[in-house]
Amino acid sequence: MKMQRIRVEQLRQFRQPLAIDELSDGINLFTGPNESGKSTLVRAIRAAFFERYKSNSVEDLQPWGDSSAAPEIEVEFLWQGERWHLVKSFLKKKRCDLQVGTRSLSGEDAEDKLAELLGFQYAGRGASKPEHWGVPGLLWIEQGAGQDVQQAVRDAGNHLKSALGGTLGELASSAGDDLIAQLDAERGRLLTATGRPTLEYKAALEEKAALECRVQALDEQIASYAQQVDRLAQLRADQLADQSKPWLQYRREAAQATERLRDVESLERDQAREQQALESCRESQAMSRQQLDEFASQQDQLQRRVDAHRQAAEAEKQLRDQGATIRQRVESAEAAYKKAAGRAHLARQKEQRDRLQRELDQLQLQLEEKQRHLGDAQKLLEQIRQQRVELSAIAIDDVDLKRLKGFVEKRQRLEIEEKAVATRLEYQLQPDKSLLLGNQTLQGQGEQVLLEPATLEIPGVGQVRIIPGGEDLADLARQRQQLSDNIEQAMTALKVSSLAGAEQRAEDARRLGADIQRNEDRLALLAPQGTDALAQTLALHEQQRQNVSQQLDAFPALAEDVPSLVVAEAEQEQEQRQLKAAEREHANYHTQLQLAEQATRTASEELHSLEQRLESPGYQETKSKVQEQLRNLQQQQQDLEKSLADRQQQIAAANPQVLRQDIQRLSTSADNMERLASQRALDIRELESKLEVLGGQGLEETRAEQAAALEQHERRCAELSRRAEALDLLLQLLRDKRQALTRRLQEPLQRHLNHYLQLLFPSARLEVDDDLVPRQLVRSADTAVGEFDALSFGAREQMGLISRLAYADLLKEAGRPTLIILDDALVHSDSQRLTQMKRILFDAAQRHQILLFTCHPENWRDLGVTPRELDGLRSMQV
Amino acid sequence: MPRFLHTADWQIGRQYSRFAAEDASALTEARIATVERLAQLARDENVDAVLVAGDVFDAQTVSDRTIRRLFNALAPFSGPWVMIPGNHDAALAESVWSRARRLAAIPANVHLVEESGIVALSELNCAVLAAPLTQRHTYGDLSDWFDTAETEPGWLRIGLAHGSVQGILADDIDSPNPIAADRAAAARLDYFALGDWHGAKRIDERTWYSGTPEQDRFKDNGAGQVLLVDIDAPGAVPQVTVHALGQHSWQQWQVSLRVASDLEQLIDRLDALPPQSVLDLRIAGQLDMQSHEQLEEALSVAEARHRAFTVDLGQLHLEPTEDDIAALHADGFVGEVLAELRLMQQGEKGEIARDALVILTGMLRDAGPREHVLGDAP
Repeated sequence: MKMQRIRVEQLRQFRQPLAIDELSDGINLFTGPNESGKSTLVRAIRAAFFERYKSNSVEDLQPWGDSSAAPEIEVEFLWQGERWHLVKSFLKKKRCDLQVGTRSLSGEDAEDKLAELLGFQYAGRGASKPEHWGVPGLLWIEQGAGQDVQQAVRDAGNHLKSALGGTLGELASSAGDDLIAQLDAERGRLLTATGRPTLEYKAALEEKAALECRVQALDEQIASYAQQVDRLAQLRADQLADQSKPWLQYRREAAQATERLRDVESLERDQAREQQALESCRESQAMSRQQLDEFASQQDQLQRRVDAHRQAAEAEKQLRDQGATIRQRVESAEAAYKKAAGRAHLARQKEQRDRLQRELDQLQLQLEEKQRHLGDAQKLLEQIRQQRVELSAIAIDDVDLKRLKGFVEKRQRLEIEEKAVATRLEYQLQPDKSLLLGNQTLQGQGEQVLLEPATLEIPGVGQVRIIPGGEDLADLARQRQQLSDNIEQAMTALKVSSLAGAEQRAEDARRLGADIQRNEDRLALLAPQGTDALAQTLALHEQQRQNVSQQLDAFPALAEDVPSLVVAEAEQEQEQRQLKAAEREHANYHTQLQLAEQATRTASEELHSLEQRLESPGYQETKSKVQEQLRNLQQQQQDLEKSLADRQQQIAAANPQVLRQDIQRLSTSADNMERLASQRALDIRELESKLEVLGGQGLEETRAEQAAALEQHERRCAELSRRAEALDLLLQLLRDKRQALTRRLQEPLQRHLNHYLQLLFPSARLEVDDDLVPRQLVRSADTAVGEFDALSFGAREQMGLISRLAYADLLKEAGRPTLIILDDALVHSDSQRLTQMKRILFDAAQRHQILLFTCHPENWRDLGVTPRELDGLRSMQV
Repeated sequence: MPRFLHTADWQIGRQYSRFAAEDASALTEARIATVERLAQLARDENVDAVLVAGDVFDAQTVSDRTIRRLFNALAPFSGPWVMIPGNHDAALAESVWSRARRLAAIPANVHLVEESGIVALSELNCAVLAAPLTQRHTYGDLSDWFDTAETEPGWLRIGLAHGSVQGILADDIDSPNPIAADRAAAARLDYFALGDWHGAKRIDERTWYSGTPEQDRFKDNGAGQVLLVDIDAPGAVPQVTVHALGQHSWQQWQVSLRVASDLEQLIDRLDALPPQSVLDLRIAGQLDMQSHEQLEEALSVAEARHRAFTVDLGQLHLEPTEDDIAALHADGFVGEVLAELRLMQQGEKGEIARDALVILTGMLRDAGPREHVLGDAP
């Protein structure tokens, strides 16, 4: 499509007509400052195509303030060799004429033809909106809308697809999407999005499941019913047997057995009785025998007693014989003991004597020592006394001494001071000359200290009075004098002649004091409590010694062969023990002897008494009676035993144990059977009534009904399931095909996009989605993918333009008209990008006519086209 | 010269789950109605007694109402009815019969034979030797005592039993309720009335199955009939007339449609069917769209005419012609989908594909020819 001419009149600032012709293929660049009408022209072109000529919503086309205007727009272009000429005027004069080659169209026919050619539609009412603009909406970029490509693509979507469908040699299915939507709705009536049954289908499945449960439950009930019917039949059959009351037979048998048992039991009782009789018979026999034994034993006893008596007498005699020996032993032991005791006594005495002697010797020694001590102590005492007298003589009070020393020292100091202060007179006289100082003659050389005024007489010369200066000196002299007096006094008081002497005396006194101390210490050692005490102690000791001596004298002399005390005492102890043993033996003997005598007496008594009894007549009689009794009893026993044996046989033959078991067995069986029979009757009645109730429920009929309903539901579910499957299949196929088609459309678009993109970003890709809307920009192989929306404004502008150029290429390939209008595009691009974009535009311009409006002519100088200034154009018209 | 009406296998209480609910209940109803018509026929034909050879009820626990209704249906004929329990309604310790007794539903003129024995119809000089089933499963021949049973001299001996005649019908070694093939002869029966086989069938000149008076399944040949039996005298060969009684004819067809004439033929056959039939159709083959529509129309008509109607189109493929497709204006990928579905009908998911194809063509057809207007906004 090649636009050839545009003319506007009574359109906004173009009250006077403005015509633009001589438009070329490729880029047509229009420049002009703001307000020069660039956008108005763009608006005019858009209005000529988009707005219905009858529209009343285009007042913005009128020149300001001129409501009577009839804006007119004229457009002429070539398409496929034919010339299309459109004249449209609005508002005051509504008109639309289109000439296509030789054909003429007007009004809505003309408008529809244009819409069909370019791929857009008209608004139903009111102004035309973006959703109506279709393909031109995509290619005619409004100011500041360059980056908004996604929405524009969507709005043009169907037009694009139908246009592009032609490239592929078939129509893209316009009905396809509607169909898909419809099918989806249909499917939605059966299945949820995730493929689960819903609504009617779900209800049918649930009902089916419920019916299955009900049928199953009924089946169970029916089975149970049948079971119970069978059981009833069984019970009835069993009951038949009960009719004859078979247990009665058992009862009869049991009764018979009981009879027989009773007989046996009476026999048993007899048996028991006789058994007891036998027992007592035996016992009586035993007693009789016992009695006879007693008789026998008594005879033995007699004999024993005789022997016993004899033995006792003999024992007694033996004992007596021993008596004398024992007495003798006792006496000798006594004698030995007495002797030993005497020796021990002597030994003790000697011991004591020796002890006294030792004590005495010791006392003597002590006494002598003590006397020595006393002597020494007394001497010391005297010494001390003398020393003390001495000391008192030479003692010097320390304080006085100190004072004296002080005086002396002070005086010495004063003298030194005097000398220092004093006038010194040094003289060196000629050998034979002399001076007279006071009354002192000075010769030779030397010096004199003058402490007081002095007169120096120089023979031959006169007198020189020398007055030593200073009050000090006089003062000093006075002091010195004072001190000297003090010293004198002190020394007199102390009775010394010099300090040295005083000090010496002090020293002596001290030494003496030390000596005294030493003596006193020694005295203390000797006589701690004093000498008097010591003397007293001594006296005591003496006394003591005298005592001991006296005691010793009291002792008699002793023989020499006295044994030691230890030995003697040991002997004595031994003899004492022996004596005791002998005495014990003696005592024993006495006791035994008495016992033996007693025994003899007793034995004798017993013997006599027994002899008497055994010889009494009554005794013999009793004995023979017992013997007879025994014989009778033995006979009785024999009889009884026989009787018992016979009866036992009888009893064994009757076998009572078995009888008892039989009775039990038979009675229990009869009881059980009777009980079972009555139970059975109860069961039957119960079962009959239960079955009556159950039968009345018409279970099988109900089950058949439910089963029928179940089958219905199963069929319905199957039907719905089939339908759902079919819908799924259909949807899947349609969607797959649609997607494949979309991809086929996408592919060339992708190709065109990338062609342009290479000029901007060498290894980038711009990816489009199923609706052919650009989505993601992939810069290079490893950079992260960026969403279109996330690009910068400038980048989006660039991408937007590139996309539209790609669509234009695509449309051109499909044989559709492509006219590109750019109203101040790429304002946000930096100069580097702008250069690249210009390359892209130049490339695109090889295929499409581009009308480029800008107020920045400087940016577009290197496009290879001559810009046309709008103002210039305008002025040319007038 | 007594005349009997011989019938059996009424199967009262049977439900037909394969049909739609209302059709099924109508069929269930029809069974009782047929008994009523049977009673009317017995009256109209001056029958002396009606012999019912077992399976009166389809189950033991039919509802009380059903029991009452059945016995009420016997009212038109006031003569004697001799009934024996069959295998469905065996005379167990507790059975539908004991329930019927408790309900006092059994009329006085009904001789219900619950134990093997002889029913003496003295006014007819006729002894009926009856062998009822008293167990759920019987493996012995319950009619073997017939051979040694004594009846009044000069009386007719009529046998009444329920089971399968050995060697005649297809049977396994252990088929339940066996009946000896020569029982009539061995027991000197004048007529042996049998039940269990649902089609009227002659075994020998004296032994017959009456079949069920109202057909109750597709397979049975000769169902829906009763037998009128005339016996001149004891020992004479009975004259047996088969009388159709059933209301509904059951048909099961397998049809293959390949060319247009096949479809026409089917339609003709459908038209020719007696009304109130019970029909089960299985259709295979392929049709173009027009024929398919035609078929659907015919099936709809048939459904309305007949008592019950089920059809299986699983093996029928839809093969639209080029014109069909063009008429649908299925363009672009929709057209591709259409073609693919056509092919898929041959494969595994054939039925689903066919269904999908039907849905798609239906929707396209309904949508009508579309103006190819550019820019229909979504």
